[in-house]
Amino acid sequence: MITIQTLLLTITLYICLHFLVAIYAYNRYKSGRSIVSNSFVYSLSITVYCTSWTYYGSVGRAATSGLDFIVIYLGPSLTAFTWWFLLRKIIRISKENNITSISDFISSRYGKSQFLGAVITVISVMGIIPYIALQLKAVSTTFAIICNHPSFHLPAGLRNSFAINNPGLLFAVFLSIFGIIFGARTLATQKRHEGLVAAIAFESVVKLLAFICVGIYATYFLFDGFTDIFTKMSSNHPELLDHLITLGGENETSYANWSTNLILAMGSIMLLPRQFQIMVIENSDENHIKDAMWRFPAYLFAINLFVIPLAYAGILLSGSNSGADFFVLTIPMNTGHHWLALLAFLGGFSAAAGMVIAESVATSTMVLNHLLMPLVLRLKFRKSFSKLLLSLKRISIFCIIFSGYAYFKMIGDTFMLVNIGLISFSAVIQLAPSLLGAIYWHRGNTAGATAGILGGFTIWFYTLLLPSFVKSGWLQTDILEKGLFGIALLKPTELFGLTGMDMWTNSLFWSMLFNIGGYLFFSILFEQSELEREQCLKFTEPYAADTRADLWETKRLSKPVTIIEFVKLMENFIGEKQAHEAISDYLSDQEIDAKGMVSEFELPGLKRFVEKTIAGSVGSAAASAIVENYLSGVGSQMESFYDAFRSVRSSLEESREALYVRLKSSEIMNRTSDLHSTVKELLELLAREFKFDLVTVRLIENDGSLLLISEQRANSVAFQLSSKISPADDFYITELLSTRRPQFANDTSNLIKRNDSAVTPVDTFASFAHIPLVGDEEPVGVLSIYSLSIVGLFTEELLNLLSSLAGQLALAVKLFDEREAREVEKNAKDAALLKNAAVAHEMEMAKQIQLSLLPESPPSLPGIQIAALSISADHVGGDYYDFFVSDNRLIDAVIADVSGHNVGAALIMVETRSVLRAQVDGNNTPAIILSNLNSLLMTDLTRAELFISMFYIKYDTATQWLTYANAGHNQPLLYQISEKKCQLLDADGMIIGVKENVLFENKSLLLNVGDILLLYTDGVTEASTDNGELFGIERLERILAETHEEPLQNIIEYIYREVIHFSGSKPLADDITMVALRIEQSAFEQQD
Amino acid sequence: MEPEKLKHTFLNRLSMKESWVIFFILGLIMMNYPFLDIFNKSIILFGFPLTYIYIFGGWAVSILVIYLFTLSIKHEKPSDNGSGS
Repeated sequence: MITIQTLLLTITLYICLHFLVAIYAYNRYKSGRSIVSNSFVYSLSITVYCTSWTYYGSVGRAATSGLDFIVIYLGPSLTAFTWWFLLRKIIRISKENNITSISDFISSRYGKSQFLGAVITVISVMGIIPYIALQLKAVSTTFAIICNHPSFHLPAGLRNSFAINNPGLLFAVFLSIFGIIFGARTLATQKRHEGLVAAIAFESVVKLLAFICVGIYATYFLFDGFTDIFTKMSSNHPELLDHLITLGGENETSYANWSTNLILAMGSIMLLPRQFQIMVIENSDENHIKDAMWRFPAYLFAINLFVIPLAYAGILLSGSNSGADFFVLTIPMNTGHHWLALLAFLGGFSAAAGMVIAESVATSTMVLNHLLMPLVLRLKFRKSFSKLLLSLKRISIFCIIFSGYAYFKMIGDTFMLVNIGLISFSAVIQLAPSLLGAIYWHRGNTAGATAGILGGFTIWFYTLLLPSFVKSGWLQTDILEKGLFGIALLKPTELFGLTGMDMWTNSLFWSMLFNIGGYLFFSILFEQSELEREQCLKFTEPYAADTRADLWETKRLSKPVTIIEFVKLMENFIGEKQAHEAISDYLSDQEIDAKGMVSEFELPGLKRFVEKTIAGSVGSAAASAIVENYLSGVGSQMESFYDAFRSVRSSLEESREALYVRLKSSEIMNRTSDLHSTVKELLELLAREFKFDLVTVRLIENDGSLLLISEQRANSVAFQLSSKISPADDFYITELLSTRRPQFANDTSNLIKRNDSAVTPVDTFASFAHIPLVGDEEPVGVLSIYSLSIVGLFTEELLNLLSSLAGQLALAVKLFDEREAREVEKNAKDAALLKNAAVAHEMEMAKQIQLSLLPESPPSLPGIQIAALSISADHVGGDYYDFFVSDNRLIDAVIADVSGHNVGAALIMVETRSVLRAQVDGNNTPAIILSNLNSLLMTDLTRAELFISMFYIKYDTATQWLTYANAGHNQPLLYQISEKKCQLLDADGMIIGVKENVLFENKSLLLNVGDILLLYTDGVTEASTDNGELFGIERLERILAETHEEPLQNIIEYIYREVIHFSGSKPLADDITMVALRIEQSAFEQQD
Repeated sequence: MEPEKLKHTFLNRLSMKESWVIFFILGLIMMNYPFLDIFNKSIILFGFPLTYIYIFGGWAVSILVIYLFTLSIKHEKPSDNGSGS
């Protein structure tokens, strides 16, 4: 036995528990350790679907009309099959677009239509308020049942107390407070309400436990299980059982009615505002859907398992099915289990509370966004909108719950109230075609959706709501019997003469016919507006959102708006702190230039972001209106770029025109080699393809100025460009050269920094762009494009194309420059080669001259045989030999080697020759001649830093005496036939050109017939092999000894060949000169 | 590709992309006229009414089917574009 105090205390504690659960969950969420964000809580919160209508009503229906109660749960179970695709898509779309409610979802898809949103809101409110009334009534009624039960002792003093008589009012107050605290904490609706969801999940657990406890108690404690109940039913109430376990036949349980209910239930699980709120808005992770797909049906299965046993137990216990609606409560009450009854009451209380809280929060969002917002936006003041809106939302929650309470108070136990669940289902099913079309049908448009929903809603009102009013006795009319205006065809429950159907099926059929028909017809009849197309793409292809971001921006703001201005706007609606947080989040992944401005191409993105952020608080339709309104207030608007690419852009990243221009331009670049004609052809192509009025190319000269090298103009352009300008003259060119980025203005009338210059005549042209000709390095020029009349010409796409062409052009310019440079270099090289050839020629001539200075052939003199050989290593050499014959018997021979074998050596050799020839005198000894030579050549040799080694001999053919002197030369070889060996001739003396006044030793020697004297230069003995081995004197001596009998010329040629052979492949390192003399029978001796 | 992975891929394909539609439609048909009519008889079987067994049995099976179906999408990444929808 429990007392009224215990009852009230338990309820109060239970309410407190609600708050504790919600606060705990909220705090956990705040500290980042959410207990709500998991698939269990998500699945449980979805069961907010099970209201007190089903908690108590299922048993009632199972006991009166039979099995048809089950379809209300079978429908959602079937729908759960589709969730991974349908629900996930809806959630994805909602998160992407900051959707706040189902009306926001649908109106957002259909061109952010305010009207459509308002219509859906009105339908929802009309369906929802009686539904809330039903929940309040359930709590109120069950409370009364407990209090008024015969076994419950209610003290007389309390019988008239406020709490006992107005449980519904107190319940409504509790729900309002709870809803306001946990459902309207902030305006940002897209943020999840963790406290609210936790409470709802908690309630779901309580209602399931309570129902199962009562079920087990009735089935296993009052009876012996399921079969016992069925057996007793078939023996006690066989006819009733037959009715209850079969379908069809009677109106209530016909197949048509079954199917209708199934369809309604299938739709409701997705379309009821509270379901959308819990399943979509409060979803924290798409993966939770996976588990919810089977957990939610399993929950429904569990809670329905005991419905039939409970119903039959109630019938068996009370003997009839009257009052079956509250069997859940009355069975434990009647059997004296008050605590169990209290648990059952709390279960029903939970079912009602969860529904009312979720529904009121969801509906208040819709009311605020679609009904109140349009009014608020007309208000003059714009300060602290966010506070006003939050207050309005809280008031809405309160008003919705108390409208439900008022409704419940006004009407009694009428037809309307009993069936309001299904009436609500029938109302929200009107959203199904538009919702499904929204995410799967590309053609669906605003006109279609509006027509469909309005049409379906009208039929619903006429065929369901109106008859309900009439049956409830609120309307005194014979419309049900006679039809509207007495026309039988317009009878609401048998519309257009369709008889044989229950009113639900009749209503569903006709409303869906008009709904779907209207939706399809108007969608096909009318074209979508641009905004609708844009929204349609977001909804039908939400998974493509990432790739879409890469496509080109096709919209621009006609007048740029700064970030600060946007932030100010957001502050009005979401509060200052949130606005700053949102914008810094957004800007962190955007490019911002040095002045804190976003680029023109990112402005539309920023605008959309602002709109989306505001939409999170006020819904997309209102947000759209707010932002558009604001923009028009500052004189800006979204407008399309002029479409330079005229063809319809398909999924290809580039339009046909862009590809064509690319192709053509590379053809031009490859074909012509002349820079000027390349540029000219390219400009012609651009002007022709894109209808530019004026296109120019300027190249940067060495002095930094820009020289106009080509221009292509339309006839209408009269403006004269100056051919040479300095970059400093123009703001844009300066900027371009420093940033190496295109400078452009899409609307010169909006320029903040007007600067009319020779390059950028902003007064003449409506839009212009300067694009740097830049490859990998510094810009080489500027491609400039001007349009007289078209604003919004330069899209990101077009600029990218032009930049790419400019890059190619830069490359062409660079190649051209390089080619020019190469040509210059080549010419210089050719000239140098030519010059070299001339020098070589001269050198050759010098060589010839030098050779001619050597004796043409050795003199022939009786008593001596002479041979000579001189080979220069270079063109000119430093070796010298000569013969002088005097008195027809004396012969002077000289061999000399000027150090070095260049031109200088050759010249010295020539000089030596001249000087020597002047000195030769039959009376001078070799030593004197050398001494004189040294004195005479000293100055010149010192100046030229050269020396001469020389060996001088004088031979008297008559006496066979040889006199000789040596100036540091190689010692000649004398092969003495008598000794059969070689001897080196030596005499003291220093190289000529080292020192003045050198004394030379004069030596004499008597020669024999057959002796051979070999004079040579160091080119012979110092010839070396690759390993550095020298030819050497020994080798020379051996050859001479071996060949002494050969003719003289043969000997020296043989020696030369040996030297060449010895040095191998190496070219001659030094000049080789040899003079050989063989003593013969003296002429005088012969004469003697 | 390893056999285990192949099996997974095969399962995923079969149950992910197509079979949910089959079961959804099957459920719709089985829980509707005229299919329902087959079991719509006032018969008590093993102590339970036939309709009760049929509806609750069918329901339990459908939940099991969804459960198996969700098992096969375990490997789906959150970012998957779910082109089957």
